[in-house]
Amino acid sequence: MSTLIWLHEDALRGDHPVFKAAGEGAEAVFIWDDAYFKSEGYSFKRLVFIYELLAALDITCLQGETAQVLDSYAKGRDIYVPETPNPHFKAIISELRNSHNVTAVPDVPLVIVPDDVDLRRFFRFWNKAKKSALSPSVGPLL
Amino acid sequence: MTSKELIKFTPLKSDNTQDVLSAVRALSPWAEGEASSIRGNMAQMREAVLAIDPTAYGRTRNHLDGAVTQLSPFIRHGALTLDEVRNVAIEKVGPKEAEKFVQQLTWRDYWQRLYEKYPERIWHDVEDYKTGFGPNDYADQMPDDILSAQTGTACINQFLEQLLETGWIHNHVRLYLAAYICHWRRVKWQVGARFFLTHLLDGDPASNNLSWQWVASTFSHKPYFFNLDNVSKYSGPDINTKFNANKEIAGSYEALSERLFPYMEPKR
Repeated sequence: MSTLIWLHEDALRGDHPVFKAAGEGAEAVFIWDDAYFKSEGYSFKRLVFIYELLAALDITCLQGETAQVLDSYAKGRDIYVPETPNPHFKAIISELRNSHNVTAVPDVPLVIVPDDVDLRRFFRFWNKAKKSALSPSVGPLL
Repeated sequence: MTSKELIKFTPLKSDNTQDVLSAVRALSPWAEGEASSIRGNMAQMREAVLAIDPTAYGRTRNHLDGAVTQLSPFIRHGALTLDEVRNVAIEKVGPKEAEKFVQQLTWRDYWQRLYEKYPERIWHDVEDYKTGFGPNDYADQMPDDILSAQTGTACINQFLEQLLETGWIHNHVRLYLAAYICHWRRVKWQVGARFFLTHLLDGDPASNNLSWQWVASTFSHKPYFFNLDNVSKYSGPDINTKFNANKEIAGSYEALSERLFPYMEPKR
C-alpha cells in the first residue's frame, strides 16, 4: 500500500519536501474540513483561494472532519505531513501517532539560527538571522 | 465510517470563475461573503514572483501604492516559500540592495517561530497594556459601524471596504485599522484580530495576532497610533484625507496621545 501525504492548508504546493520524504507513489490528500474552516472564521473569499490552490495540485480531496477522515482513509498506512506550528494540526498528528507511523517534514528554511535564538523582540532575532537571511538558499533540511 | 462513505471531490481546474465559485458554494454553503478579485492562480503568482522589485520596495514600501508584491496569500498557504522569494530578490539586486525586502520576509519567519514556541500567545496578552487601560476597558464586540464600513472617518471606511471586498490590504493600512479599532474605539485586540483573520486572504494566526498585540502594546513598549497627516503622506489621491471627513484622527501626536491615552504614564 502506498504511503499517505496529508497536505494541510499551511503547505499547498507540489514540491514541498514532504513529497520527496514520502517517496514515489505516495498519495497526497487534503481534508476539506468545514468545522475547522468555521473555527478559523474563514469567509467565502478564503475558501475560494484555498480551493484554487488545490486545483493546481495532483491531490485527493476529502470532505469531513480531519482527524476522523485521515484515520479512516489511511487505514494504517504510513503518513507524511508538512511540519506546522498550528496547534490544532499538531494535536491531530499526535493522535494519529497512536495508530500510524507519522513523519513531520520541515519546509525549506529561510534562515538557519540556533534553536535557543532570542525571540523576545524582532530586531534581536534579525541581528542573529541577518547573515543567513541574506545568504543563498541552503535547500531542504531533509 | 468506512472509506466508501468518504466524500471525495476533485477541484475544478477551470478558467470560468462562475463554475469555481459555484463549486465552492456547493461544498461549503455556510461560508459568508463574496469571492475576492485576488485569486489562487499559480500562473499569476509566477508572474508576480518575476516582477519582484526589491529596490523599489525598499524605497516605497510604506506608501499605500508602493512596490509591494501581494504574494502574502500564497506564502501564507505554503504555495510559495520565503526561501524562493528571498533567492529571487537576492539574485535580482544582490544582498545589500535586497536587505529591506528580505527583512520583511524574515518577520514572517519570526512570527512562525513564536507560534511554534509559544502557541498560547496567539490569543492571550503577551504583556500588560501600556496604554493606561486594563484588558477590561476594551470592548468584547466589534461595533456595527466598523463591520459595515460606516464609521465617522472617511479614510477608515475606504480601508475597511477594501479589506471586506478584496481580502488584501497594505501593511500600513493594517496598522491604521488595528490602531483605529484598538485605540480610538477601544476594542480588544483579539476581536480585531479575529475580524482580520476572517477577511484577509493571507490571515495567519501568528503574523496577524502578534502584530495586533504590537499595535495594542501587549507585545511592544508602547501603543502604535497614527494621525491624519501620516495617512495623507503615505496614501494616494484615491483616499479621502480631507480634514472635515476625518476629524477623529486629525491632530498632533501629542494631542492625540493625550486624548487616546489619558492615563498613560509619561516615559521618563
